[in-house]
Amino acid sequence: MASSAAAPSRSEVLSLFRSLLRTARDFSDYNIREYVRRRTIDAFRENKSLEKVSSIVAAYSEGRNQLQVAKRQSVVYSMYAPSIKSVMEVKGSSGSN
Amino acid sequence: MAMKAAVLRHVRLPASAAASRTLGLASPASGRWGGVFGSVFRSLSSHGDDHLSKDEVVDRVLSVIKSFPKVDPSSVTLDVHFQKDLGLDSLDNVEIVMALEEEFKLEIPDLEADKIDSTRLAIEYIYNHPMAG
Repeated sequence: MASSAAAPSRSEVLSLFRSLLRTARDFSDYNIREYVRRRTIDAFRENKSLEKVSSIVAAYSEGRNQLQVAKRQSVVYSMYAPSIKSVMEVKGSSGSN
Repeated sequence: MAMKAAVLRHVRLPASAAASRTLGLASPASGRWGGVFGSVFRSLSSHGDDHLSKDEVVDRVLSVIKSFPKVDPSSVTLDVHFQKDLGLDSLDNVEIVMALEEEFKLEIPDLEADKIDSTRLAIEYIYNHPMAG
């Protein structure tokens, strides 16, 4: 029984992109936050010119799964957030003092 | 008693049609950010003077856009279209709006964010937003 899913619309894809970037902001850990951002942007760019409907549908559902993973992880990580911020987040600190 | 009257005088809303129409405008789906809404809201707000000046909004919006890696800073002007003039695509558009959200500590709903596709619209939206910081 083959179910042919319809390709997601442009606005659905952009909405998924935005949701992933928003979820990235929920991470208190700088490294994970930046990774989610980078990976999201890279993946969407890579798949930007997909033509086959089945590939588009597969990429879109993969994106949605990843969004769920990221959302769950942001909750888990927030339970064990370290109290010390990464050095990249310390504003105004300039090298040596 | 006099205190109550004095407080009520300050809080009492203008009974004009324009005000009641704009104050009923709570839903984001209306999308009408016209100056009337912005100015009525601002005059009733208890925040007073801590709303951003137009110049500050313009400066900060332009600097956010100029610091976007794919953008040529010299081509960023007050009314430049992200996709048509700066050669960006829709993904970049989303990224830029997110960067603006972070700069001004706002949360822009998707419906409104999709409409922001030029510096002019970005400046207008942020300037009229009561919570821009």
